[in-house]
Amino acid sequence: MLNFPLWKVGIIVVVLLWGTVLALPNMFSDGFLGVQPKEVSDPTNTAAVAAYEQQLQEADQSWWFLPSGKLNLGLDLQGGVYLLMEIDPAEIAANRLETVQADIRSAFNRNPLIERNPPVQNEDRLTIEILNPEEDMDEAVRRLNRLNPTIGTTQTELFDVQQTGDRFIQLTVTGNARTALASDAQSKMMEIIRRRIDPDGVAEISITPQGDNRIILEAPGEADPKRIKDILGQAGRLTFNMANLDSSAIQAAINSGRTLPRQQLVDSVDYGQILINRIPELTGADIATANRCFDEANFPAVCFRLNSSAATKFYNLTRNNTGKNFAIVLDGTSMSSPTIRTPIPGGNVIIEGRFTIEEAEDLAAIIEAGELPAKLNFLDERTVGPTLGAESIAAGSRASLIGLAFVGLFMVLAYGLIGGFAVGSLLSNIVLIIGALSGFGATLTLPGIAGIILTIGMAVDANVIVFERIREEQASGRSPATAIQAGYERALSAILDANITTFIAASILYMVGSGPVKGFAVTLAIGILTSVFTAFVVTRWLTVMYLRTMRPKRLSM
Amino acid sequence: MLLRLWPEKTAVSFMNLRFIALVVSVIALLASAAFLTTRGLNLGIDFAGGAVIEIDKPEDVSADQIRNRVTELVTGDVQVNSARGTGANAPEIAVIRFEPQPPVGDETPDEAQNRAGDVVSAAMRELVGAERFNLRSEASVGPKVSGELFRSGIIALTVALTLMMIYISFRFQWQYALGAVAALFHDVILTMGMFALTGFEFNLATIAALLTIVGYSMNDTVIVFDRVREEARKYKKLELAKVVDLAINATMSRTLLTSSTTLLALLSIFLFGGPVLRGMSFALIFGVIVGTYSSIFVASAVVLLLGIDRGDQPKREVEGFQGVS
Repeated sequence: MLNFPLWKVGIIVVVLLWGTVLALPNMFSDGFLGVQPKEVSDPTNTAAVAAYEQQLQEADQSWWFLPSGKLNLGLDLQGGVYLLMEIDPAEIAANRLETVQADIRSAFNRNPLIERNPPVQNEDRLTIEILNPEEDMDEAVRRLNRLNPTIGTTQTELFDVQQTGDRFIQLTVTGNARTALASDAQSKMMEIIRRRIDPDGVAEISITPQGDNRIILEAPGEADPKRIKDILGQAGRLTFNMANLDSSAIQAAINSGRTLPRQQLVDSVDYGQILINRIPELTGADIATANRCFDEANFPAVCFRLNSSAATKFYNLTRNNTGKNFAIVLDGTSMSSPTIRTPIPGGNVIIEGRFTIEEAEDLAAIIEAGELPAKLNFLDERTVGPTLGAESIAAGSRASLIGLAFVGLFMVLAYGLIGGFAVGSLLSNIVLIIGALSGFGATLTLPGIAGIILTIGMAVDANVIVFERIREEQASGRSPATAIQAGYERALSAILDANITTFIAASILYMVGSGPVKGFAVTLAIGILTSVFTAFVVTRWLTVMYLRTMRPKRLSM
Repeated sequence: MLLRLWPEKTAVSFMNLRFIALVVSVIALLASAAFLTTRGLNLGIDFAGGAVIEIDKPEDVSADQIRNRVTELVTGDVQVNSARGTGANAPEIAVIRFEPQPPVGDETPDEAQNRAGDVVSAAMRELVGAERFNLRSEASVGPKVSGELFRSGIIALTVALTLMMIYISFRFQWQYALGAVAALFHDVILTMGMFALTGFEFNLATIAALLTIVGYSMNDTVIVFDRVREEARKYKKLELAKVVDLAINATMSRTLLTSSTTLLALLSIFLFGGPVLRGMSFALIFGVIVGTYSSIFVASAVVLLLGIDRGDQPKREVEGFQGVS
């Protein structure tokens, strides 16, 4: 029991070294870890450029043997925005069903024509009244079944076709199709969200799915939740419509509440309300790229380029309608309604407006990322500003150091030299926790720091149990060596049982907890593992070394 | 000599005190139940929904001004508290909280909640001036999620208690499991009662704290039980109450030492860890004290009440673990 074979010592040294190497990167800047800096998107930001260059320089002389993984700080420590969003599966189903309406129209208009009333859609259910059911009903059901689209990889049919009563056919989106649509929309929307929030692909945002129809966005360093919600809150449906800016026609439409059937009234950024054609000439899908640019008066604007077929279409449109106006409509509001002076070749279009640089950049990102298939509902939003984050880090480190000092002092007071060994193993315990957290890429949150401090307090428990046993054994007349051996043997079952039960609590917490609480569970669980290891192996090794070299007659404790 | 929190050889009869302890515990439990029903828990927005916005408060803007402005914008109760941040010459902070908002028109309740958060935040920017505005934190929780968070918190507690009970019955005997779980319920209820009494905010971090208390109290209980099992084996003919007393006396020094170091660590979080961790560390401090008490007077007393099977007890269950050393 008391002779530590070389291989055991070897394992202890390897584990401690490995933990140290994993923990070390936290002491160094990214550059020294060989992390290549990220491009600076705004060259006028001199501080960012200087930081970039310094990191580039450091990366050249980086310490190759250091792993590059640092502790991930949670949003509550580094500041940032957390957003939990939900997509309504019923809305997606309804939207998808709406797109089938055009197919139904052309299927029923084929020869022989099936006479019917316009379909009535109520959420995810479409009802069609067939006017001559005796002749047409069977054929109508057949044609509907034939156009029924399949959804997703599972190839589920979109809807059930059901005859209700004598004259009606009901199309209902199936449950399976609804699930397939939602998961399809979820991944599509995660991609659109990424392109909107982070068009250059440089920010460290994380977008993760939760369940079938929820998405979590975490944007570290972002301090303005409203901006993010504004960017994501827009459907981003962009259309080009011919517009009528004639004020008397607009006024007449507003007064009567009626327009020509092919026209509609929309809000306009620069004219109050204007009339536009219902059917758009071009849509967002025709846009190849969009950027923030500056207009002739040097105000921020959004420039975009149409893809080649749309560019031709746009050229023809502007050639045929010189002197008229067209409107660029985003989510039902006209952003701009310029007059066409000359035909525009090349497909380059600019939206001028009274934008700030940031607004223009956001709008460009929204336009380029494309339209969201459904609305995002914001369920849970948490923002921590940079000041509070920095304060939390300071408070957390202060509390850790003070806690560690208290506990260390207490152990030395209670057990003398052997208590000092426990403090040594406590320090290695902290190094191991930090190393494990860095190595796993786990996230450190403020409750996580509390978990580490709590572990500091509880980690000595295993040592205390053993030491108390050793005291007892020594009191009953045993020599130091046998007392230590008996102490460790007898304490084993209690320590394992006690720590396994706490580990159960930590695992449950990890499974059901979210965000910061999960961080607490992780440090607690890792802390339990490392503290059992350090108490049973490291402290014992230190004690045995002491026994061997000093050969004390009696342990003073 | 070295610090000792408990004399070396003692023979205090803890089990003779168990009826006094029973009275104390029952009174404390009843008081907790009374506080929980009359005063109720001060639920944080995690569970109640609503929004909390925390901003730097300039000296020339009063809490009343903020409250009046927010009251104009939202329905229901509005709380504005000012506090001072941690650190030297830290600015004063205003913490604004309001209830979940009723939907207007065809909004969903979640949308209403979200909109109100944006409106209030924008109004505050206007009130203190854009250049002085510093959003320290903002949280807005819709009714859908707050309900789910509450349910998952309760589920977590229940699952953890059940699993621990199974583990203890497996490693010890069912009487020990019942004793341990009685102690855990005791601790959780008293801690929640304390939250109702003091009005500390009850939120997700508190649930985390409760689970940790459960873990800690269980830890403590297991240490005592392990000793009870050992002494019961050693002194087969000794009366069970005496055996339990022996075990408690033998582990008392450890119990006090570990509680002390844990409390020292927790105290440093409570005092120096900043306002965010205060509620959580308060729960933990209270829980550690109650947990230490309950492993002696609740868990052991229940085992004594139920009696343990001392005849055909399985031999040296520890052996499975021997390989570790």
